[in-house]
Amino acid sequence: MNTKYGAPLAVAASWIAATTLAGCGGGGTGTASTPAASLAAVAGKAIFFDTSLSASGQQACGTCHVPTRAFTGDPSTDHGLPVPLGGANMDQTGFRNAPSLMYASFTPAFSITDGPVGGFFRDGRSSSLDQQAQLPFLTAFEMANGDAAEVVGRLQKSSATLQAFIAAYGEAALSDPKTALNDMGLAIAAFETEDDEFHPFSSKYDYWLEGKTPLTTQEQSGLALFNNPTKGNCTACHPSQRQSYSEHALFTDFTFDNIGVPRNWAIPANTPGAVSPISGAPLATINAIDVPADAEYAYYDLGLCGPFAPASADVNARPVLSATTSLCGIFKVPTLRNIAVTTPYFHNGVFSTLHQVVQWYVTRDINNNTGNNPNPVTAGAGGNPYVTVGTFYTAADGTPDLYEYNDLPTAYDANVNVGEIPYTPPTVGGGQAPTLTAGEIDDVVAFLCTLTDGYDPNNPAAYNVPAQCASTAATAAASK
Amino acid sequence: MIRNSSIRDSGAPKILRATLLLASAVFAAGTVSAADTAPKSTEQQQIDGLQQQLQAVQAQLKQLAEQNQALLQKLQQDEQRQNPGQVAASPGQPAPSSGLNPPAAAAPSAGMAPPTGVPAQPTTPMSASATGAAAGGSSAFSNVKLWGYGELYYTRPSREPSKAQADLARAVFGIGYSFDENTEFNSEFEVEHAVSSASDVGEFEVEQFYVDRRLNDAITVRAGLFLMPFGLLNEHHEPTNFYGVQRNFVETLIIPSTWREGGFNLHGDTPIGFSWNAGITTGFDLSKWNYAPEFPQYTTALELEDNGSAPLQSTHQELALANAHDLSQYVALGYYGVPGLTLGAAISTGKAVKVPAPPNAPILGDERVTLWEAHARWTPAKFDLSALYAHGSISNLAAANASNPGSPNPIPSDFYGYFAQAAYGLWEHGDYRLAPFVRWERYNMGSRYAGTTGPVIPTGLVPLSATPGDYGYWPQNHDRVWTVGANFYTTPHVVLKADYQWFQLNSDFSRFDLGLGLNF
Repeated sequence: MNTKYGAPLAVAASWIAATTLAGCGGGGTGTASTPAASLAAVAGKAIFFDTSLSASGQQACGTCHVPTRAFTGDPSTDHGLPVPLGGANMDQTGFRNAPSLMYASFTPAFSITDGPVGGFFRDGRSSSLDQQAQLPFLTAFEMANGDAAEVVGRLQKSSATLQAFIAAYGEAALSDPKTALNDMGLAIAAFETEDDEFHPFSSKYDYWLEGKTPLTTQEQSGLALFNNPTKGNCTACHPSQRQSYSEHALFTDFTFDNIGVPRNWAIPANTPGAVSPISGAPLATINAIDVPADAEYAYYDLGLCGPFAPASADVNARPVLSATTSLCGIFKVPTLRNIAVTTPYFHNGVFSTLHQVVQWYVTRDINNNTGNNPNPVTAGAGGNPYVTVGTFYTAADGTPDLYEYNDLPTAYDANVNVGEIPYTPPTVGGGQAPTLTAGEIDDVVAFLCTLTDGYDPNNPAAYNVPAQCASTAATAAASK
Repeated sequence: MIRNSSIRDSGAPKILRATLLLASAVFAAGTVSAADTAPKSTEQQQIDGLQQQLQAVQAQLKQLAEQNQALLQKLQQDEQRQNPGQVAASPGQPAPSSGLNPPAAAAPSAGMAPPTGVPAQPTTPMSASATGAAAGGSSAFSNVKLWGYGELYYTRPSREPSKAQADLARAVFGIGYSFDENTEFNSEFEVEHAVSSASDVGEFEVEQFYVDRRLNDAITVRAGLFLMPFGLLNEHHEPTNFYGVQRNFVETLIIPSTWREGGFNLHGDTPIGFSWNAGITTGFDLSKWNYAPEFPQYTTALELEDNGSAPLQSTHQELALANAHDLSQYVALGYYGVPGLTLGAAISTGKAVKVPAPPNAPILGDERVTLWEAHARWTPAKFDLSALYAHGSISNLAAANASNPGSPNPIPSDFYGYFAQAAYGLWEHGDYRLAPFVRWERYNMGSRYAGTTGPVIPTGLVPLSATPGDYGYWPQNHDRVWTVGANFYTTPHVVLKADYQWFQLNSDFSRFDLGLGLNF
């Protein structure tokens, strides 16, 4: 077993495997410092990992939100795809990289008064954790139940989970499928909220703040670059300072942004006419989204604009924003806690390493055909303008794309954030330069690696350093 | 603006005495009418005598009426000319308010000085009883006082004229009420930047709201929201009271004028010219500190003053749901026993609301904010000379700052500022007065830091906002500034100002200013 995650999550995995929930009263699930779970949380945990509640019988919440990967998806079990597999035959592909559920319970309700903030899913379309938790049960390319009655029918056949559910909500709750599904959502939300495994605040960074372990020189340098407004400026959206949502820094301010990430051709939905890479079957379709007539591709994932809309049953959900084109392409800022173990990155999983991510951030608008470029090269004129850097934007055939923000219709290019560091080069009039050097990128990645939970200040050697962090350390060591 | 107690103001106006005379005369006339029952033989004589007396009384009445009218006219003229509730203190010369700057120290002849014979309580605001209630005797408003002040300016950074701005900086209205001769309420309400709403830049604030109770001739107790008796300007920040279009930087960035706190104090004066003031107040809240400003918090001298980024500007609470777990203490002393000379010093200290730390972080001690200052003003002949030093410190910041490496804005352990200023009453004609001045000042909003080597101040051109292409330099948090200009008074209560300021380090801040200020 090649687990690269921290001790608490490994403990969680074994704890999950050993759970029987018999009687719901025995076998305490918490440590001495952890309050006993509520009946709802116990039921939620059972539901979270119960694959029998899906049409395929192979998928549960925990399939796409794996505890050992900070409750994100696992490409190794998803046919190498950046999106989860699902559906009745587990041959359907999803549309977005599964987000980490860790620290999700701190997410505020969606608000758009002073710019969009909060809400659940990457597009904030669910009003609460419990509303969000209900939807995958009914989604065709996920757990693929036809309706709430089908979900409840499966629940009634899963004795252990059923017992836990009845203990929390009573048998009468099963008489109305919608009520029962709503209770299942509440149970999952209770599990994600109460259980410390979703928010242990046990990273090396946390212990450093508590004065229990030092950061290396490189890690401290990385943090300083992370905070520096003219270097990384990461803290502008991923604040390393405590905000109102928690007593700890969450490394997200829950705002939304359009940062123009490259299109990921590994998502089948991004390729016209794609079929299931598993079975060759047609892929589930989702609601069509309006794209400008001059858009390069027929399908785009535009975040707040769609293609996913709030569920009609979610009465407190945000409004449909598909007509607000200024919001097209913006997604919620994720937490950076455990970022080293949640590859791939961004809503479409286009990058597989933190080095790629940081390098892309600081070179995105350099030598590229962007609004920042005073002499943009028009599509098809004189061949490919991308030569050395900025080749993150590729066409379906792997060659550099003629459009930079190619996961966004060009008509919406103005929505892309180009005014803030690190996108904007710090020099003007004297040429463009990345805000971070190669060595500084290493430093930032080294710091990001300290945000991985499971550090034990009394036994640092036991810290399972994520693979890419180990390579960062090795690279840094080799360069000195 | 501080409103001093006018509790001991009595001095029945002459108009009232005239009214009493009139009433006596009318009563006398009535008495004459009652004498009609006298015998006929002597009736004519009596009638004649009474007629003579009546004529005499009528003559007296007429005379008194004329005198009364003249007095009324004079009173109105005086009010229009001087606004008697508002004695003009000379610029930088505080009107007494907290027992620290009594009128004996007022500059006598600096060309900017208040009129001689300044009453002991010079800042008695215009009273409703002196206007609307004058002819009607006592009313619900007879103990009410109203006053106000405001200022407008135009500022033009000489290197970046595109950032020129004009603003109705503040419009302030005050209301006071005397409950009895020993108990008085005063308050001030301020609108900043002309328009205050959720979508506008302006603010509406309660700047003062307190009650004074005079315990005896030497001691008054004050409770509520009040201005702290620090420096030359904080309590006396009306535009007619300071030189220059804008307030000096030391008494803005180091002493966070207009600095007010909630609490209570005891204050008083001694016959030999000492004043004292000591109190317990709310303190500062370091949890409000912004370690991670993405862009400079100020890019002009105006923003430097207005944006509240200085150490105590950004952490004072202004009694707006203020955290009051820990209270601060202060004491201020003054001496004004030598005519033309004012000396003063003050110190405040108290535990602040701490910088947030993780729940398991070790407790490293209190974060205590201490601010002290000393000031002097001397007004020989037509000169008006003043100087001030202020120093602030905050303890136990090492852990908080160390957890935010790379911050362009760590919390300073020490900060200070000082200035020296000279003005001269160059010209005076009637109410017109002209006083040029020069001021040199130095401020340092972070002279020492714990847990960090200091703010990471980016070099070169950097984005100043999220607007693409908005580039500039990240300013330094310390500087030396020369200010040269003049105040021109059309009356003691209306002043036109002009000045130019040179910034040594943040040279883009250098600016030309014009201002209009008034108070009544």
